[in-house]
Amino acid sequence: MAIKASEISDLIKARIEKFASASEERNIGTVVTVTDGIVRIHGLADAKYGEMLEFPGGSFGLALNLEQDSVGAVVLGEYKHITEGDTVKTTGRILEVPVGEGLLGRVVDSLGKPIDGKGPIKAAHNSPIERVAPGVVFRKSVSQPVQTGYKAIDAMVPIGRGQRELIIGDRQTGKTALAIDTIINQKSSGIKCIYVAIGQKQSSIANVVRKLEEHDAMKHTIIVAASASVPASMQYLAPYSGCAMGEFFMDRGEDALIIYDDLTKQAWAYRQMSLLLRRPPGREAYPGDVFYLHSRLLERSARVNEEYVEKKSGGKVKGKTGSLTGLPIIETQAGDVTAFVPTNVISITDGQIFLEGDLFNAGIRPAMNAGVSVSRVGGAAQTKLISKLSGGIKLSLAQYRELAAFSQFASDLDESTRKQLERGQRVTEMMKQKQYAPMSVAEMALSIYAVNNGYMDKIELKKVSAFEAGLQAFAKTNYKQQMDAMNASPLLSPENEAALKKISEEFASTGTY
Amino acid sequence: MVEKVTLARPYAKAAFEAARDSKDFARWSEMLAAAAATVADQRVVKLLSSPRVQPADLVELIAEASKADEHGRNFLNTLAQNRRLAVLPEVAAMYEELRADVENITDVHVTSAVQLDEAQRTRLVAALKKRLKREVRLHCAVDATLIGGAVVRAGDFVIDGSLKARLERLAAQIMH
Repeated sequence: MAIKASEISDLIKARIEKFASASEERNIGTVVTVTDGIVRIHGLADAKYGEMLEFPGGSFGLALNLEQDSVGAVVLGEYKHITEGDTVKTTGRILEVPVGEGLLGRVVDSLGKPIDGKGPIKAAHNSPIERVAPGVVFRKSVSQPVQTGYKAIDAMVPIGRGQRELIIGDRQTGKTALAIDTIINQKSSGIKCIYVAIGQKQSSIANVVRKLEEHDAMKHTIIVAASASVPASMQYLAPYSGCAMGEFFMDRGEDALIIYDDLTKQAWAYRQMSLLLRRPPGREAYPGDVFYLHSRLLERSARVNEEYVEKKSGGKVKGKTGSLTGLPIIETQAGDVTAFVPTNVISITDGQIFLEGDLFNAGIRPAMNAGVSVSRVGGAAQTKLISKLSGGIKLSLAQYRELAAFSQFASDLDESTRKQLERGQRVTEMMKQKQYAPMSVAEMALSIYAVNNGYMDKIELKKVSAFEAGLQAFAKTNYKQQMDAMNASPLLSPENEAALKKISEEFASTGTY
Repeated sequence: MVEKVTLARPYAKAAFEAARDSKDFARWSEMLAAAAATVADQRVVKLLSSPRVQPADLVELIAEASKADEHGRNFLNTLAQNRRLAVLPEVAAMYEELRADVENITDVHVTSAVQLDEAQRTRLVAALKKRLKREVRLHCAVDATLIGGAVVRAGDFVIDGSLKARLERLAAQIMH
């Protein structure tokens, strides 16, 4: 890339003009000890809690422990060059990250610095990473859906804009896959996505970025990456930075979605910092404020009213509501949801999607346990078409599971029980869905309609997937207009119902599956 | 790990209050400074942690070296009983701070690029008196690497008016 010399000199000139040349007044201290990214500083009598501190070599720290004779701080980033006796200065600032449209499509670290090699970020605004959540008066109840593109989730545990829905499960149960597919499905919904990767392998993060690029989903996505190799302080900060970037969109009357993958690792990073800062350990050696660590973060996910948006945008945006939907991820150990961090986050969020290893291995993917997965506020936001069609599905699945367990002992079953069992098996089979294949509302409606109205009852269980795929292909080629109309107005109107019926009947009679 | 300053604080405060009540700041200052110097001596450091040396003998040694009076001896005895003789340098420093505070005097360290002349010093003292709202005791030093200007330090408070710092900030401004 050719750079003109005049441009550079203009830039430098502008910077120099902005440069105030007055002598600076600071509060200073001396480094007493440096231990694993934690620095104890003597002096700094005027340091404030959470203030940024300047170390020699241009690195910064965060004052976290204010004691009688010393200040405990964490270094943000590399700390190997800091030695005992170094001078530390206060800055009078709190930590800020760049926010705005310019970050979309980029991969940044916890401080908002680009790490994707695509040059500097053009961000017009900066925002403090810690902010108090919008108050009660400025909130609005959740009423619009976030389509994940998964039949099982959109039908049984619908998520609304502004909701916090926990994705919880053991390792290798498809938690990240679910999150990534949700991002991919937001291509045309206008929801901006932020994916915060905490304590993950660099290779996994690179994989996510590549997959999103392949599906053309990076345009509306920001990735905040704090991999396993960065210091604990950066892993601790990543969710807050990501949240600040999401709040930018919420404040301007737009909708955003943030995924924290995962908060278990963030709690670990915070535990490490707290223990090194000599804060007393509590349950599972976590510090006393680990609940607050997550509650203050997730409280910032909200749906805000028009008044709030108008106030925050300085009167520029009127009559629009904003939202920040939160999808935190928690990794359990051997399905233990009673551990400290899982119970905390379950109690904070508005519901959870519980993924199970056994289901995953049995080939049921997404491996959602429909019995314990709930959405406490999403029902009000569910698309009317889907909510009408899938009304009894959760209940009937629960009944089916009970029957299935019971019928293992019975040799011959009566007709109605057998039918219920077969229907349950077909619903379970129909709910399976491949990765990177999100469905539109009309497609979901068609599949659910077909299974609910017995069109799949006569199909061999093994062929249910094939039948469904055929049905979708058939609808796409022959009834595109009706399907598009259904997507445009997702209600269970007589026309839509008639269309669903017609497609199902016609396809079932052709038998081309 | 408790820091030495934290350990020293109650002793320094006690010494300071004793000195204030007897209106004898100067003598306590001398005594504490001499005691601190004794304790800091390499030969004495070895004795402090030795289990063979009786605390009473240590007190005798330090008291003699620092020409302590009866009150001073009592003070040293208390320190010895609590095995805190090693914090004497911190006690002395903190005592001086407390004394300066009550006498409304601040020690100001000025590092300049070139030697300050008498007129400059007077002007600096006058300006600092106004800024810090207290009497100023000036300690000057020269550091040519500052290129120009001066750095004024009073405790934790620093006014950096050196050319070096300005250039560094200019560099940071251009790079970020």
